[in-house]
Amino acid sequence: MRRLLASVLLLQALCVNFVHAAENLLELVVTRPFLEMHSGPGRGYPVVYVVGRDETVTVLYSRTDWYKVRAPRGQEGWARRSDLAQTVLASGEPAPIPPYPDFASHRWEVGAGYGVYNRQNMVTAYADFGLTESLDIEAVVQQALGTIDNRVVGSIGIRHTFIPEWKWFSPTASIGTAYQHIVDKEPPAPRESNNQMAYVSLGARGFITRRFMWRADWRHYVVFNSLNVYEDLEEWKFGLAVFF
Amino acid sequence: MEIRLSSILLAAALLSGCGWFHRGEKAHNQVVVDEPEGEPTIIEPQVTRREVKTPKIKAKDFEIGAYFGALSIQDFGVNPVYGARLAYHVTEDLFVEGFLATSKAGTTSLEDEFPDITVVSNAGRQFTYYDLDLGYNVLPGEIFLGRGRAFNSQLYVTVGMGDVKFAEKDQFAINFGVGERLLITDWLALHLDVRDHIFETSLTGRTKNVDNIEATLGLTTFF
Repeated sequence: MRRLLASVLLLQALCVNFVHAAENLLELVVTRPFLEMHSGPGRGYPVVYVVGRDETVTVLYSRTDWYKVRAPRGQEGWARRSDLAQTVLASGEPAPIPPYPDFASHRWEVGAGYGVYNRQNMVTAYADFGLTESLDIEAVVQQALGTIDNRVVGSIGIRHTFIPEWKWFSPTASIGTAYQHIVDKEPPAPRESNNQMAYVSLGARGFITRRFMWRADWRHYVVFNSLNVYEDLEEWKFGLAVFF
Repeated sequence: MEIRLSSILLAAALLSGCGWFHRGEKAHNQVVVDEPEGEPTIIEPQVTRREVKTPKIKAKDFEIGAYFGALSIQDFGVNPVYGARLAYHVTEDLFVEGFLATSKAGTTSLEDEFPDITVVSNAGRQFTYYDLDLGYNVLPGEIFLGRGRAFNSQLYVTVGMGDVKFAEKDQFAINFGVGERLLITDWLALHLDVRDHIFETSLTGRTKNVDNIEATLGLTTFF
C-alpha cells in the first residue's frame, strides 16, 4: 500500500513536471488576418486548419523551416517559418523566430565529402570553427582507400578566406599539420606506417542554400620520415557542409 | 538564581541601550549626509524587476534509428544485415545521413560445390560498412490507411560513399538508394530502403565492380 502511494506520488510529481514543461512553451499571437496550419512540414502538405487574427498559438517544436503549433482549441499542425515570423509575443514584441545563420559570419561548420589522396579514393569529414569572418580553425578526419594500402589521416590547421563577403565563391588558403596512419593491404608492407606531415592548401567555398554550403580544396603534404628521402603527397577534395 | 537572572536582564538592557544609542547617532549622521539643503529626496522603489524569459523553440532536425533487412553480397548469397542511422534535415527537401551496419557473408557457389576450397576466411566473411549520404525528398505525400487515418510520408533518393570492410580489407564504396519514410507520428518514422553498395574487388578471380543490394526496414525517431 505504501509502495502504491509512493508510486502515485511519483506519478503526480512527474505529471506536475510534465504540466510545467507544457506551460513553458512559446505562445504567439497572430497579427495577420490568419495563420495557416499544414498537415506536414512541407510546402505540398494541405492546409488543415486556420488560426484567426488575435488568437494565440503554442509553438511545440521546429523541423527545418516548419514549426509545429497548437491552436487555442487543441488542433495541431505545421506553420511555415515566414508566416510565424509575422506573429508577436503577448507583450507585443516580435516573435523570437531565430534568423538564418549569416553565411559571411557563421561560427560553426560540419561537412563531409569525396576526395583523392595520393591517387586513392578518399572519404573526408571535417569540423570548422570561425575565429573571425576570414580566419577559421579546421579539423579533418579522412580515410583514403587504395588498392595497395588504406590511410587514415587526421589534420588540424588554420584557414584564411580571402573575400568572405563574396557569397557564391570565395578563395581560401590554409596551412596546418597532419598525421597519417598506413594500413597495409598488399605486400610489400610500407617501411613506415605512421608519419607526421605538414600541408599547405588552396581552395574555395560558396553558399548553396539556407544552412548549406560547398567547399573544394587542393592540398600539398610534406611527409616527415626517417628514411632520408623527400616524400610529398597531393590531395584534392570536394565537400558539402552545414553551417550554424 | 535570582541574581543571575537579573544580571542577564541587565546585560541585555545595556546592550539594547547601546544599540539604541548608536542607532540614533547613525540616523543623525544620515540626515546630515543624505538631505543637503535645497535638494529634493528621490525615493528609489525597492521592487526587484521580474525577469520575463521567452521560452526557446526546440528544433527537432535530427533523426536517429536502427534498421535490419537482407543484404545480397554478390557471389556470397543473401544475408541478414543490421545497422544504425543518423540523419540531419537541412531543409524540407535535403538531408544528410550516416549509416553503420554489419552482416555476415555466406558461401560462394564454388565453395558449395567444392567444400575444400575457401575463398574467404571465416573472420573475413564479416561485412561491415559505413556510409555518408546526401538525401533528397522527391515525393512528399500522404498515405491513407482506411477512411480515417492519413500518415505523412516522403519518398527519397540518396547518394553517398563510404567504406566497406569485407574479406578483412577496406574498400571505397559508393551507394545509391531509394527509400520511403512513413511518419507514424510526427516524431516516429518507419523506413523502407533499397540501396546498392558498389565497390571494386578481385575476390573471385578477376577485378570487377560488385553490386551489393540491400533491402531494409527501419525505425527512427526525431530529436
